[in-house]
Amino acid sequence: MSMDLLNAALRIASPLMLAAFGGVLSERAGVFAVGLEGMMLAGAFGAAIGSALGGGVVPGLLTAAACGAAIGLVVALVAVRARADHMVTGLAVNILAYGATSYGLRLAPSDLPTLAPLAPVGIPVLDAIPIVGPLFAQPPLTWLTALVGIIVAVFLRRTSGGLTLRATGENPEAVRAAGGWPRTVRVRAVIACGLLAGLGGAVLAWQVGRFTDNMTGGRGYLALASLIVGRWHPAGAALACIGFGLAEAFEYRLEASGVGANPYLMQMLPYLVALAVLGLVGRSARMPAAIGKPLA
Amino acid sequence: MTPAALARRIAIALLAALVIACVLIALAGASPVQALLAMAAGAFGSTQAIGAGLDRSAPYLLAGIGVALCFRAGIINIGAEGQIALGGLGATMAALSFRPGNAAEAITVALLAGALGGAAWAGLAALLHLGRGVHEVLATLLSNFVALLLVQLMLAGPLGEPGAGFLQSPPLPRAARLPLWQSIDAHPSFALGAVLAVAASILLRRTRFGFGLRVLGASRPAARYAGFREKWLVAAAMLIAGALAGLGGAVEVLGQRHRLVEGFSLGFGFRAVTVALLALLHPLATIPAALFVGFLETGAQAMQRQMGVPSALMLMLEAVTVLAVLAAARSER
Repeated sequence: MSMDLLNAALRIASPLMLAAFGGVLSERAGVFAVGLEGMMLAGAFGAAIGSALGGGVVPGLLTAAACGAAIGLVVALVAVRARADHMVTGLAVNILAYGATSYGLRLAPSDLPTLAPLAPVGIPVLDAIPIVGPLFAQPPLTWLTALVGIIVAVFLRRTSGGLTLRATGENPEAVRAAGGWPRTVRVRAVIACGLLAGLGGAVLAWQVGRFTDNMTGGRGYLALASLIVGRWHPAGAALACIGFGLAEAFEYRLEASGVGANPYLMQMLPYLVALAVLGLVGRSARMPAAIGKPLA
Repeated sequence: MTPAALARRIAIALLAALVIACVLIALAGASPVQALLAMAAGAFGSTQAIGAGLDRSAPYLLAGIGVALCFRAGIINIGAEGQIALGGLGATMAALSFRPGNAAEAITVALLAGALGGAAWAGLAALLHLGRGVHEVLATLLSNFVALLLVQLMLAGPLGEPGAGFLQSPPLPRAARLPLWQSIDAHPSFALGAVLAVAASILLRRTRFGFGLRVLGASRPAARYAGFREKWLVAAAMLIAGALAGLGGAVEVLGQRHRLVEGFSLGFGFRAVTVALLALLHPLATIPAALFVGFLETGAQAMQRQMGVPSALMLMLEAVTVLAVLAAARSER
């Protein structure tokens, strides 16, 4: 496999990965992450507005994280505090984000500056290795994605906060009995999920260069499928995202080479792959036991 | 919670949505009072406007009944969007290929083909869910995207109008188009939906099958213990919902568009969910709920034309209403 293709796959996968990492936090705490799509979209919008108003990458990322977290807060209020159905709440915030970002785009000045592409940053020495070298020269936001993945994985497995979070998704009553606050854990996890998915949306906005209506176009749902295929583990989710990235990179490659595959069929591919893989994983995947169950 | 308390909470939720709307309209630089007046005039100002609102509400009603039935059974079927798309596709294919002389026959065949298309699409999701254990939300959500692309694929290929420049089918033969009721300037689509809403209500409240759905929604173990065949009930509910959504797609194509157009079903799926939730999952109450959503939309479009307030406002209002109703309806359990 050529490194170009792998690099393209990583590029396509990184927004999905950030969202999926957030989704892992949310679902391991027991809240279905159907709102990833809206969180990403809000993040992409935040990135475009933040970098235009604040002038630069950092304000853009911060605004993106805040916008994603705001959607997370809505999910937390309705699904965790008011104990509404997680799935329907997620769907509703996705529409809310779609409406709010479209509305916001029309209120914003029409000459929003585009997001300048960020130059790849290489790891010295490693990026000079023949053949695999190009893998070690990635845009800064891809490095950010990798860093977030490591932090989420370490947090979940090696910290007491991570243990409490996982316990909340499996048996919230036990957490309560041990003196913990399952509701607070869930609220924080969902907000953190929004924050990370918002960053994912920001990465997407930087790749495209600007914000457009509904620019996530279902990527949040693919991130959701990835974290399930990846069995609610950050590493597994990341691999699944790279898998989708490869499928899409391959699709672009095929299109560019003019093989003449039907473009609509090719666009269907990620969703068909997701459904097929979910079907294959099937019942063997065990979700967090208390997921979707309202707290007493 | 008593029904009265619930109704009060929902009224408060709608009022909150209205206040938010006013703030957003003011943010866009328009006068909220004038904008809301423009909205009311656009929705109810003339016979024509009322007819348009009824026609707009019809697919939401048809699909919403099915969503309500599924939700009542605890099946979170988010697939109405794809089922509506396939319903439109089925109706178009039937209308374009059969050319019987008599209109009643052509319309019946096309409507049935639409219902069949929607049911078939829901059946695929049900198969993934029941056969392979894929969560129904993911199965239906992801298949929505496939359905949308499938319609595009057909329009770019065998069903497309040559040289149109858009992804659309040739116009449907007159015999297959729904008749227009001149006195109210509307098609019989909404009336069809209302009849089916009554039928669904009877089904849910008066039949063994409906009882099974309600038990299933209350507790799956209880349904199993009571001897209901869980999988059969789930499959049947999803197929019925698919057929209803497919009918929704069919009436949109046969009554409104008179041809299949790319993206004709965009956003319909969420409105069906909105209708079901606003109706608190009671099939009969989907009738006023669908009217609310449909007239809100025609009103918002008129407001956009006259005042320049972006129509994305409507999406936000729908989402806020759904969230408020969700929060209001469940928080005391």
